[in-house]
Amino acid sequence: MSAPPVPPVTTTVPRRSFLKWSAAAGGGAALVGAGAYFGGLPGVGPASAATAASGLDVDRTVWSSCNVNCGSRCPLRMQVKDGRIVRVLPDDTGDDEIGTQQIRACVRGRSMRHRIYNPDRLKTPMRRRPGTRRGGGEWEEISWEEAYDEIASTIQRLVKDYGNESIYLNYGTGTLGGTITRSWPPSQTPIARLMNCVGGYLNHYGDYSAANIEQAAPYTFGSWIGSNSFDDARNSRLQVLFGNNPLETRMSGGGETFVTQRTRQDNGQRVIVIDPRYTDSAVSLADEWVPIRPGTDAALVAGMAHVMISEDLHDQDFLDTYCVGFDEEHLPEGIPAGSSYRSYILGDGPDGTEKTPAWAARITGIPASTIVRLAREIATSGPVHITQGWGPQRHANGENQARSIFVLAAMTGSIGVPGGGTGEREGSYGLPMANPFATTNPVETAISVFGWTDAIERGPEMTALADGVVGKDRLDVPIKMIWQYAGNALVNQHADINRTVRLLEDDTKCELIVVIDNQMTVSARYADILLPDVSNAEQLDVVQQGSAGNMGYAIVADQVIHPLFDCRTVYEMCSQIAARLGVEKEFTEGRTQEDWVRQVVEDSREAVPGLPSFDELREMGVWKVKGESYIGLKDFRDDPVANPLTTPSGKIEIFSDRLWEMAKTWELPEGDVITALPEYVATWEGAEEARTNAKHPLQCIGHHYKQRTHSSYGNVDWMQEAHPQVVWINTGDAADRGIVNGDLVDVFNDRGRIRLPARVTARIAPGVVSVPQGAWYTPDAQGVDVGGSVNTLTSWHPTAIAKGNAQHTTLVEIVKA
Amino acid sequence: MSVGAFVVLGVVQLVAARRYGREAVDTITDPVLYAIGPVMVLGLVASMFHMNDVGNTLNVLRHVATSWLSREILFGAGFAALGFLFAAAQWFRWGTSRQRQGLAALTALVGLVLVWSMSMIYYSLVAVPAWHSWTTPAQFFTTALLLGALAVGAALMATLMVRRRRGGATTADLADSSLVAGTLKGIGIAAVVLLGAEFLIIPLHIANLAGAGGAAATSAEVFTGAWFVARLVLVFLGAGLLAVLLFRYASPDARPRTLAVLATAAFALVLAGELIGRSQFYDSMTRIGM
Amino acid sequence: MATQLGFLFDQTLCTGCKACQVACKDKNDLPVGVTWRRVAEYSGGTWQQDGDTFVPNVFAYYTSISCNHCENPVCVQVCPTTAMHKDENGIVTVDEDKCVGCRYCEWACPYSAPQFNPATGHMSKCDMCADYRAEGQDPACVAACPSRALAWGPIDELRAEHGTLAGVEPLPDPSITRPNLVITPHRDAQPSGAGTGALANPEEL
Repeated sequence: MSAPPVPPVTTTVPRRSFLKWSAAAGGGAALVGAGAYFGGLPGVGPASAATAASGLDVDRTVWSSCNVNCGSRCPLRMQVKDGRIVRVLPDDTGDDEIGTQQIRACVRGRSMRHRIYNPDRLKTPMRRRPGTRRGGGEWEEISWEEAYDEIASTIQRLVKDYGNESIYLNYGTGTLGGTITRSWPPSQTPIARLMNCVGGYLNHYGDYSAANIEQAAPYTFGSWIGSNSFDDARNSRLQVLFGNNPLETRMSGGGETFVTQRTRQDNGQRVIVIDPRYTDSAVSLADEWVPIRPGTDAALVAGMAHVMISEDLHDQDFLDTYCVGFDEEHLPEGIPAGSSYRSYILGDGPDGTEKTPAWAARITGIPASTIVRLAREIATSGPVHITQGWGPQRHANGENQARSIFVLAAMTGSIGVPGGGTGEREGSYGLPMANPFATTNPVETAISVFGWTDAIERGPEMTALADGVVGKDRLDVPIKMIWQYAGNALVNQHADINRTVRLLEDDTKCELIVVIDNQMTVSARYADILLPDVSNAEQLDVVQQGSAGNMGYAIVADQVIHPLFDCRTVYEMCSQIAARLGVEKEFTEGRTQEDWVRQVVEDSREAVPGLPSFDELREMGVWKVKGESYIGLKDFRDDPVANPLTTPSGKIEIFSDRLWEMAKTWELPEGDVITALPEYVATWEGAEEARTNAKHPLQCIGHHYKQRTHSSYGNVDWMQEAHPQVVWINTGDAADRGIVNGDLVDVFNDRGRIRLPARVTARIAPGVVSVPQGAWYTPDAQGVDVGGSVNTLTSWHPTAIAKGNAQHTTLVEIVKA
Repeated sequence: MSVGAFVVLGVVQLVAARRYGREAVDTITDPVLYAIGPVMVLGLVASMFHMNDVGNTLNVLRHVATSWLSREILFGAGFAALGFLFAAAQWFRWGTSRQRQGLAALTALVGLVLVWSMSMIYYSLVAVPAWHSWTTPAQFFTTALLLGALAVGAALMATLMVRRRRGGATTADLADSSLVAGTLKGIGIAAVVLLGAEFLIIPLHIANLAGAGGAAATSAEVFTGAWFVARLVLVFLGAGLLAVLLFRYASPDARPRTLAVLATAAFALVLAGELIGRSQFYDSMTRIGM
Repeated sequence: MATQLGFLFDQTLCTGCKACQVACKDKNDLPVGVTWRRVAEYSGGTWQQDGDTFVPNVFAYYTSISCNHCENPVCVQVCPTTAMHKDENGIVTVDEDKCVGCRYCEWACPYSAPQFNPATGHMSKCDMCADYRAEGQDPACVAACPSRALAWGPIDELRAEHGTLAGVEPLPDPSITRPNLVITPHRDAQPSGAGTGALANPEEL
């Protein structure tokens, strides 16, 4: 019969997800009218026409950059036509050699236009409609003046009634690297500068990225000490990456992705990746992948240590000279026998258990024979380039996870020499850029970055010994006001979103939430006052480099276009609020934003030889210099007497007597422990509990995903299309549940339920699932998060020492939706 | 279907004219012939929906050199034009009957080439294993002839019933009824034979696909489940059971109503079955590569 | 014909990041659903579980593909309008004045190179950034790759330097269209048609 061909079914990303964001953003669609402004813009929205105009038909090309929290920092050249950005181009300076490389932006930076011209852009100041629920999406537009007045008067009232410690700057890394437009570290933000002009604010220590390793490192090394930079792996025969995944977490083609790949190409060292996932780093770099149950790295290290000690493969000289606590002969005064790491490993410690490869195998999932082989190889390959990412430490036992890997670096004598490493995250060369804009907080009280929800709920109950309060034995007041500048930790990036939202909905506790952002993020939905920021393409700033091996660089990101809508710069917002608080002079020092940026560059030229002047830099866009490879603790290794560490012993403390004391004095919840040695600790919702938990038997981690930097870019259509949100599940686990690749599934536990497609893959260990972190929480009518945010599932339960986030310690079950 | 019907009509003409004389045959086949016209027009109109840019429609004939799609469109248009010309010739009795027969033969030939071109559109896609198989042209021809034959049968009975209702029996009826009965018997036999062919091709095709792995195996999965079974059942009922009944009942003495119901039902069932078949044929499109 | 141009793809370096894909979309203003360069993940393998431990035998690698400007371009052959044609550098392009948007080429191409653009009603595809090449610049995807996995040039030179491999899973057997593509294979690259793994991300292509 005459039936002509029908068009084939094309598999494209449904627009649903794109429109969903618009809908979510337009909670008060009538007020926000998301998307309506964008009808005529090029390249915006799903219906934009593909016009293959010549790539050369533009008015001008302006240097800008991508300033998100990936550890990299990429210059971008933006082409402008008729006042709009029509194209984004990569760095065109430098080459393909380490130290002078072209800083090719990753996939996200290349989608920047769809972030700048996103339907979710905030356009005008808004206030939560009085009497409506926080997060209810009912807004009223207000003038900038109204917004400034309300914020200023609330600050004055709260300072009078509760003191400055009732005002909190929440963690946020949505704009990073800029100097004026910087949302992290909190102490260097324009918000901090503003608050410091009026008496300060409640500090936090740590960050969601690395809270536990940051607190753990000083107990071993005295301070944060990076491992050797990735380019230094050229001096190694063996490189070991513990949960370190530069090709997915630091994706810049001028940063660590380029450096690791190029070094591996040139040097050909053997690379071992230890990770629950067969990561893209493993795909491209690894000779061997060792899948491991999440949260059990310390057990693997113990098992390998057993092999090294039994076969006398460890570097006893290094341990004797540079370390404390490896064996009984090197324990601090007054510590009982059997407290050394060696005793712990050989079963001569209090637990009486020998940490044999077989013992470690049961916990980690890695066969004993593999552990033996790995231990021998790692112990006998000369200096080993050992690094860890921040996945291993983002667990309930994260501090010990991190510390155990430092011990492995010490046992192999790899610390402080070329080709080696401290076992920390890779370090890198950096320029000592000045920051005259930064100020000091008169308030010294600080809570853990992860503790702010507790501080809202039960602030005055929080103490130093129970909650890690610093600078005071006990908080005097709860948090009454939150600033959230360019951050999504208010809801989306904090744990247990459903619980967090319930807390925030009670506006008698925290009375004012001010969110400054340029997109209607998940956190922005929960603001009382919403201030529309400009994107970095709409203003000028000097931008610090990212992690790039041994290359140093600086960027001047110029103003490419005029601010869209009624958006304003954060500098202007803070200046205006400062004026209402009577401290405008102190805040601005009579300078404009451009004056400050010039000042930063001029001040930096004193410390950075060869740094061009501001005007030259503005013309160049990016300035690069080939620096030194970073060798962590080189001075200490060269002369431990002249260059002692800042630990009590001046040495690397495998056994920490400070932790020994804390274990006795700190008030910990049932089951939580602090150990002086980096012991493997079985925790709540850990790898061992998973195997006995019939209800939620799968360990759920949350890897950094190519679609987003955390949650930044999560609402960009091109990114959702390129890297849709999916949950990784092992082929066997999927088969047990009747799930095939692409099926829509529910991942759930008692804290929440998310719905997203399954990626059924052999690339993840059995018993483990991974939900890429940072997807935007989007509850449907039943409360199911169809955005697929891993934090709908994670727990508030903090770690023992750092009181940090343990967001990879989560048990779940999966079923077909 | 149009082609099949035309070809079947031609066969009826050739076979029956010897026994009953051309006039008699013409009286019953012409109305059927005119019924084919609208179906063909519909087909052509439907094919226009594939043009996402109707303004450039005429360009589709530019590539007869290598594109089977161009060829299909060319032969489709040719068949339609010749078909209409022939219908007009029949209606106005242009030319001699031999000339008209020549024209009919040419039309039928172009029609067969059209079916071939149509199947080659799919067969020629090397990247689609489910289509790049000898079974594609084979299925196109069985489908065309099967539907054509049953459509002729149904249209034949329909015109007969209409005529009866209008003016009762005519003298031609007697010739008609034995002619019709013979025709229906022939159609019944043809249907069963074609059904046999189809039921041979389908399992061979599926077995080939399933055995080839990869994209082909994915395609094979389409031919499982309720729709696939429904298709087989419908075609079997229509072209098997009802066609056999048609063959048995078709006689000058048979009640025309029964025959009409049988013929129409057979056609309707097979049409439904083959529509499912065609839909599954498209569903089975899995390309190798990425 | 002058020199036939082609792409070089170093699979050992590809991380599946899709900077190439998005750079192309940005340059050509392509909406969601129209993607001239796509990246496939091919992966597979098995797990051996023994009580509490497991051993993987797993592989995965990525393949970035736009149009291979084939020697035997099936899209050109099947196109009923001659809109799809090969120019003097062997670059296959769509003449939008001729295209009727029948999407037959979309069916035919085993690389998904021709992409239907609903906004224009025509097919659209990679032309290897003819405008950039005319200015002496690299195509957008090549300039974008953070890992430096993409290059382009006269195919004879690429083959002389990097070999002639163009057939790894999930790509079709190169004999079908004779792509002007040279692949430096990943250590786990499976030959075309091996069927040892599966396309992991079909919904992304």
